Amino acid sequence: MTSDAEKVSLRSTAVTARVGTALGVAVAICFVTGLISHFIQHPQPWFFWPTHPVWLYRLTQGLHVISGIAAIPLLVVKLWSVWPKLFERPFIGGLTRQLERLSILVLVASMTFQLSTGLLNIAQWYAFKFFFTTSHYAMAYVAAGAVIVHIAVKLPVIRRALGEPLEPPLAEPVPRGPSRRAVLWGTGLAAGLATVVTAGQTVPWLRRLSVLAPRSGQGPQGVPVNRSAVAAGVVGSAQSPDYRLTVTNGSVSRTFSLPELAAMPQNTRSLPIACVEGWSANAEWTGIVLADLLAAVGASPDADVRMISLEPPGPYSRTVLPARHARDANTLIALRINGQTLNLDHGYPCRLIAPSRPGVLQTKWLSRIEVVPA
Amino acid sequence: MSAVRVALLVVGLLTIGYGVALVLEHPWPDILHIAIWAGAGVVLHDFVFAPLCVALGFAGRRIIPKRWWTPIGIASLCSVILMLLAVPVFDRPGARDDNHTVLDRNYPLGLLLSIAAVWGAALLYMIGRAYLPVRKDDVVEQQSSDHIDAQPPPVGPNG
Repeated sequence: MTSDAEKVSLRSTAVTARVGTALGVAVAICFVTGLISHFIQHPQPWFFWPTHPVWLYRLTQGLHVISGIAAIPLLVVKLWSVWPKLFERPFIGGLTRQLERLSILVLVASMTFQLSTGLLNIAQWYAFKFFFTTSHYAMAYVAAGAVIVHIAVKLPVIRRALGEPLEPPLAEPVPRGPSRRAVLWGTGLAAGLATVVTAGQTVPWLRRLSVLAPRSGQGPQGVPVNRSAVAAGVVGSAQSPDYRLTVTNGSVSRTFSLPELAAMPQNTRSLPIACVEGWSANAEWTGIVLADLLAAVGASPDADVRMISLEPPGPYSRTVLPARHARDANTLIALRINGQTLNLDHGYPCRLIAPSRPGVLQTKWLSRIEVVPA
Repeated sequence: MSAVRVALLVVGLLTIGYGVALVLEHPWPDILHIAIWAGAGVVLHDFVFAPLCVALGFAGRRIIPKRWWTPIGIASLCSVILMLLAVPVFDRPGARDDNHTVLDRNYPLGLLLSIAAVWGAALLYMIGRAYLPVRKDDVVEQQSSDHIDAQPPPVGPNG
């Protein structure tokens, strides 16, 4: 027969503290990598983001989505382990108890909000009516703060639980039933499985196993697409014979037709395209080194550069490339990908590809490059 | 309360405060929708998902022999996680005609195969447990506290 004491023994502080520690690590990785991605897209004077290694953003954003997905099973088990506390008496209790309950409500609400909106966003399913990026960013602070408050409140309990052995004393042996060790093993297996079935969109050797990843990793010329030419409304303008790329620096301005760009010295670089949505792919890009193009208009190597797309004005039709990336010899205005002329969906006639930057800032269908006055 | 805990509490509350301030920068209808989405997550977990899991566990414990609880419990957890991860891709609600590189897998098949793999592994584990030689740990695990081996033979003065 199953006694009550035995049922309670699996749901124990020993299990909660250990799963909670793993969840805390996953949340910390997710929060920090998320902040990195935010500050690359919204630069602050104090924020420094290097151009090398070229795969750095691919790593941090891949980790952001992987740690977020791994947090789902960890959160499920963590909540399972404490769920009966929801119905503990006194139900209302004193002010301290109410405050503690409120802090847990904020914690659970913000965590489920972050994990659910993130999971929906990587599948491009906008079932919610609010704007994803700003709300996910704002709630990240609420969730991180709630985790820190929770640790502050529970610190003595966590310390005691982690200091004691996982299994209860042998005085009450549980014959052949699941052990707490099995709960931890199961949680680890579930977190590993969640990672394997999704991480292939950024870890190439996992591709065949990632049966639930929003991206198989395939696409035109071997690279997936996030925003198509149709969605951007550039099908006509990108293929027009009148297409010109304009490069300006103050009053100096030069225009290039596509044959003129193709006649310039071409360079090939192996660079990843890494999307904010957590997928990434490496490709061989061929084109003109941006610094050469900027030298043609006498730009300073310390100037930021604005990239303007043929796409009608919108949040991602123009971006500013920091000087550090603009002068890097790996930064190209690419005309070709993997040995072929850029597909229209990859930014034909030409696009920016810079090392260690979010894909959303690698402006496609370039029409103007402006040196930003210092 | 130690200084470390007070410091953590202050940092945590300030961080929450900053997040709330950022949320409040949204237009009012958005703030309402954000609050509803966050609240719905708690309600769905605490009063739908968790009770459902408890009911399944309660029923399972009465039907399934105890020695299989561990592999079946872990396989159930893995299946639930796979189903949760499949929610936003299963029916491809985010698919658009202009981009075939998003949601470009057969997700119902992927979910089926991954769940089948989980239960196949659980089955192998159970078969292994049933037919492989019993290990020393299992013998100990099945003993109760009043199971005590015979005392060692008394040692005589000349032993």
